[in-house]
Amino acid sequence: MASQLIREWTGIQQFPAATQTKLLELLGKLKQENVSTLTILVMGKGGIGKSSTVNSIIGERAVAVSAFQSEIPRPVMVSRSTAGFTLNVIDTPGLIEGGYVNDQTLENIKRFLVNKTIDILLYVDRLDTYRVDNLDKQVVKAVTESFGKEIWKRALVVLTHAQLLPPDGLEYDVFFTGRSEALLKVVRSGAKIKKQDTWGDAIPVALVENSGRCNKNENIEKVLPCGTAWIPNLVKTITEVALNGSKPILVNKKLIEGPNPDRRWKEFIPLVFAFQYFFIIKPLQRAIKNDMARETRPAWELRDTGLSSRKF
Amino acid sequence: MPTFAASSHLLNPTLTHSLSSRRRFPSSSQNPKPLTSLKCHLSSSSSSSSPSDPPTSDCLSVKPLNPSPLLDSIPKSLASAAAAASFAILLRFSPIGGGGGGGGNGFGGGGGGGGGDGSGGGFWERLFSSPAAIADEQQNPEWDSHGLPANIVVQLNKLSGFKKYKLSEILFFDRRRWTTVGTEDSFFEMVSLRPGGIYTKAQLQKELETLATCGMFEKVDMEGKTKPDGTLSLTISFTESTWQSADKFRCINVGLMPQTKPIEMDPDMTDKEKLEYYRSQEKDYRRRIDRARPCMLPMSVHREILQMLRDQGKVSARLLQKIRDRVQKWYHDEGYACAQVVNFGNLNTKEVVCEVVEGDITQLVIQFQDKLGNVVEGNTQTPVIRRELPKQLRQSHVFNIEAGKQALRNINSLALFSNIEVNPRPDEKNEGGIIVEIKLKELEQKQAEVSTEWSIVPGRGGRPTLASLQPGGTVSFEHRNIKGLNRSILGSVTTSNFFNPQDDLAFKLEYVHPYLDGVTNPRNRTLRASCFNSRKLSPVFTGGPGVDEVPPIWVDRAGLKANITENFTRQSKFTYGLVMEEVTTRDESSHISPYGQRVLPSGGISADGPPTTLSGTGIDRLAFLQANITRDNTKYVNGAIVGQRNVFQLDQGLGIGSNFPFFNRHQLTCTGFIQLKQVEEGAGKPPPPVLVLHGHYGGCVGDLPSYDAFTLGGPYSVRGYNMGELGAARNILELAAELRIPVKNTHMYVFAEHGNDLGSSKLVKGNPTEVYRRMGHGSSYGLGAKFGLVRAEYAVDHNSGTGSLFLRFGERF
Repeated sequence: MASQLIREWTGIQQFPAATQTKLLELLGKLKQENVSTLTILVMGKGGIGKSSTVNSIIGERAVAVSAFQSEIPRPVMVSRSTAGFTLNVIDTPGLIEGGYVNDQTLENIKRFLVNKTIDILLYVDRLDTYRVDNLDKQVVKAVTESFGKEIWKRALVVLTHAQLLPPDGLEYDVFFTGRSEALLKVVRSGAKIKKQDTWGDAIPVALVENSGRCNKNENIEKVLPCGTAWIPNLVKTITEVALNGSKPILVNKKLIEGPNPDRRWKEFIPLVFAFQYFFIIKPLQRAIKNDMARETRPAWELRDTGLSSRKF
Repeated sequence: MPTFAASSHLLNPTLTHSLSSRRRFPSSSQNPKPLTSLKCHLSSSSSSSSPSDPPTSDCLSVKPLNPSPLLDSIPKSLASAAAAASFAILLRFSPIGGGGGGGGNGFGGGGGGGGGDGSGGGFWERLFSSPAAIADEQQNPEWDSHGLPANIVVQLNKLSGFKKYKLSEILFFDRRRWTTVGTEDSFFEMVSLRPGGIYTKAQLQKELETLATCGMFEKVDMEGKTKPDGTLSLTISFTESTWQSADKFRCINVGLMPQTKPIEMDPDMTDKEKLEYYRSQEKDYRRRIDRARPCMLPMSVHREILQMLRDQGKVSARLLQKIRDRVQKWYHDEGYACAQVVNFGNLNTKEVVCEVVEGDITQLVIQFQDKLGNVVEGNTQTPVIRRELPKQLRQSHVFNIEAGKQALRNINSLALFSNIEVNPRPDEKNEGGIIVEIKLKELEQKQAEVSTEWSIVPGRGGRPTLASLQPGGTVSFEHRNIKGLNRSILGSVTTSNFFNPQDDLAFKLEYVHPYLDGVTNPRNRTLRASCFNSRKLSPVFTGGPGVDEVPPIWVDRAGLKANITENFTRQSKFTYGLVMEEVTTRDESSHISPYGQRVLPSGGISADGPPTTLSGTGIDRLAFLQANITRDNTKYVNGAIVGQRNVFQLDQGLGIGSNFPFFNRHQLTCTGFIQLKQVEEGAGKPPPPVLVLHGHYGGCVGDLPSYDAFTLGGPYSVRGYNMGELGAARNILELAAELRIPVKNTHMYVFAEHGNDLGSSKLVKGNPTEVYRRMGHGSSYGLGAKFGLVRAEYAVDHNSGTGSLFLRFGERF
C-alpha cells in the first residue's frame, strides 16, 4: 500500500468553488512553510465515522464505508497530490473490540506506520455521545503508548455527527463546549499530559458532519449548525496544527517497540557484577564460615583428647 | 586374706561383665577363642545416623550397593546388632584389663589375664576355657550321680575327681548379712556356674579359685548338698571384701601404660622387709598415678560417685562394682565403646583410684579386600580415604563409636566401595591400645550398560505397523576412581529411536576431578567438565487463563560446561565456571522457529509472536560465566527441617556469541525455616511447628533472550498456577510463607504465595506476558498435607478465585 501510486487529487474539484479556493489558499500557505507533504492519521473507536471523514476530506469515495460494520480490517492510506502538494490520509480500523482495546489492531496499525512520518493525528469521536467513559481513556492511552505523548501536540480532536439538536434545549455552543471539554479532559488524563503543560489545553477541536443531509450555505458548502463551513475550517485547523512548531512524529521500530530493554543499564553491568561480588557473594561466604564455626559438634568431637606427639 | 592386707588394694572387676555376657550368649562360648573369632556386623548407612543409634557396636559395616532394602532392614539389624555388639565389645576388649592388673599392691584379682591370645595360663584363659569344656560336655548329656545319701552336705574337696556332677541349683550365702542372696545380686554375675550345668570337681575348684582371687571376697567357700535325684545343690558362701571408708575419688587413665609386674613376695621376708616391700609398692603406685593421664570423666559423674562413697561409708566390693558400672556406663553412653575400668587401686586409703583404659588408638589400618574377603592391594589411594576420616579416628585419639560411624558415612559418600567396615580391635603390642581397621571392598572401576526399549508409535490410521516399532534405549559407561583418586568419566546416550537418532538424542559426557588442590589439602574443590544437551518446553510461551492453546516452543540446549565446586560443609558450597552453549528454539514439529506463534482471533496461527532468540534466527550461541553460592545451615529437628538457606546464582555474559550477548542475570533465594517451639530432641519425639518464609528475586540487566526470562507460576514459583501461567519477565519477585504443623508422623501446612513481575514484563522483547494474555502477577493460598514423599495440597488461585487439588512429589522449598 505504501508503494501505491499517488493519484491526482481529483476530488478537490468536487468541492464547491468557495471551499476549493479556501483549500488551495491553505495549501499554498503550507507550501510557503516548505511543507509539501502532509500525513494525517485518523484514529478512534469503531463506527464513529472515521472513514467517512476521510472520504469527506478527500472529496471522493476513497475508502469503503458501511453503516453497520467495520469495513476495513487493516489501515489504509489514501494519497492524493495536487499542485505539487501531497496529502496522505491514513484510515485505521476501530480500536475497540468487545469492550477492550484490541491489541491486535493496534499492533497492525503500528506495523503499518513503520517508517512513516505522522504530521497530524485526528482523534475522532462523535459529538452526539453525551458521556465519556473509561473506554475513551483506554483508547487515548493506547494511542499514547504507541506513539508517545508528543503526538498530542500534533493532534486534533474531531467530533463527527456535528449536526444535531442538543438535548434538553441546551444551546448548541454550550453543548459543544461541554462535550469537547469532557473529551479533552479524558485525552489529557489518558495521555498523562501534566497540568503545567499548557499545550495540553490547546488541543484544537474540529467539528465534522459527513452526512449527505448536511445543511449547506449559499455557496453549497456543507455547514455546521453554527453556520461555518466545516471542511475549510477543518483543513484550516489542520494547517494551524501542522505549523504550530512541534515536530512531526516519525514512526520507527524503536518507537513501536519502545526503547530496547536489552540496552537499558547495559553499561552498568560491570558495576552490577562488582556489587554482587562484594555485597552478596562475599557476605554469603562469610556467613558460611560463621556457620561452620558455630556448628554444634557432638560431644565426642569436642572432647577430643589427642595424645599429642605420642609415639607407639 | 590377711596376706593382702596392704595399705592399698587393687581389684579387677571386669570379670563380671565378661561372665554375664557369656551367660546371655552361651552359644558363643563354645568357641575356644572368642577373642578373635567373635564378630558382629552392624549394618548401617548414612541414613542410620539418627541419635537413637545405640552407641554400643564395635564394628560397623555398610553395603551401599543396594540401599533400598537396606533402609528397611536398618532398624531391625541395628537392634539385634546392638545387643550382639555390646557383647562382642566386652569380650573383645576385656583382656585390656588383664595382664597383671593385680600389680603389686592389690589382690591380684584380675591378675595374669594375659593379652588375650598370647600369654597363656592366665586367669582369663581359664575363664574362657572352662565354659568351653562345659560346652563340650553338654554335647554328651550323661552325668554321674553323686552316689551319696541324699541331703548331706559335702565339702568340695570331698567330691570325686572322676565324676561329672550335675548342679540342680546354686545358692549364694552372704556370711556377713547371714542371708541367701538372690540371683539379682551383682555377685551372682561373677560366677560362671549355672544351675543345670554339669561340672567336674576340677572345674568347681577352679571356679572357687577364681572367686577367691578376684578380690571381691575376703573368703569364699563352696559346698554341695546331695539331692535325692543324684544332682548336687551347690552353696557358695562368701564374705564380701570391705575396705576403710573413702572420701575422695580419682579416675586415672592408664591406657598404654606398661603394667607393673608383680614382684614375687618372698614368704621368708622379715617384717621389716615386708614393710619395705609395701612401701616400695606404694611408691610405685604413686608414681603410676602421677604418670597417668587425666581421664575424660566429667565432674558431674565424679560428684555422683563421691556421693555414693559418702552414702556408703565403708567401701565394699559391691560399691566398687557400682562405681565401675557407673563409670563404664558414662563412657559407653558417650560412645567410648572400648573404655574399661580395669582396676581399683589405693584401697584402704582415703582415696579410691579408679583406673580406666579409655581405648587409645595406636594404629589406623586401611585394608582392601577382594570379593572373597582376601586382603588385596587396593586401587584407591589411601589419602582419599584418610581425608574422609574424622580426626578422632586417627592415631593417639580415643576410639569413639560415633567417630567410627562418621567415618563410615563419609567413606560411604565416596561411592567407591561395596562394603565398608570400621573395626576396632585390641592392639596386642600396646596394652590397652586399639587398632582401628578399615576394611573396604572396592566397586568395579569400569562399568558399561545398555538398556533398550521398544516403543510402538501409532502409524497411519492409528494402527501400529511394523515400521512404527521404534527401538530406543540408553547406552552408558562409567570409569570410576581413575588413578585411585576418585576421578571419573561417565557418559550416556539416550534416544527413543536408534534408526533416527538425530530426532532426539540426549547425551551427556562428564569428567569429575576431585581434590583439585591435592588430595592431602583440606580444601575440597572439585572440577567438573561436561558436554551436555537437553530439551525443555519453554514456559515463556504459555497462555494465561482462558487462552486455549499456545503453540509450544521447545528449547534445545547443547554445549560444554566446566566448573569448580568448593564444598565448605555438606550443604554449603560455591560453584563457578564457564558455560558455552548453543540454544535452538523449535516448534512442535521440530522446525527451528525464531518467533513464537500465536493463535489469531480468526483461528489461524501467525508466527509473529515474541522473538525466541537473541539473534532472531532461532539459534543462539553464547558463552557466559556461571556462579552459584549456596549457604545452607539447615538441620533436622526430630524430622522437621530448621535453619536457613540462601542461594545466589549469577550468569554473567561475556559478550561472546550471537549478537555479542552481554548480560548479568542473577537470582537470590532466601528461605528461612523458623522453629516456633523449642522441643526436646530425640527419636520418636514430635517435631516442632515450623514457619517457612521464602523470597526469590530474579533479575537481568542487558541482553535477555526469551528462553532466559524468568517465569512466574508453577509448583516451585507460585503454587496453584501452571508453569509460566502468570507471565515471563525481566525481574521477578516471589514471596511465600508456609506454616507447618506436625500431625502424628507427618505435617499439615497452610501457605500463601505471591509472584510479581515488578512491571518488567514489557522489558522482555516481544512482551510474551501480554501477547499470551497473562496477568504478570498473582497470588495463591491453600493448605496441604504430607504423606511420605508425596504432598497433597489444595491451592486457590487468587486471580480467578478457583481452587484445585494437586499431588506433588518432593518439597517446595
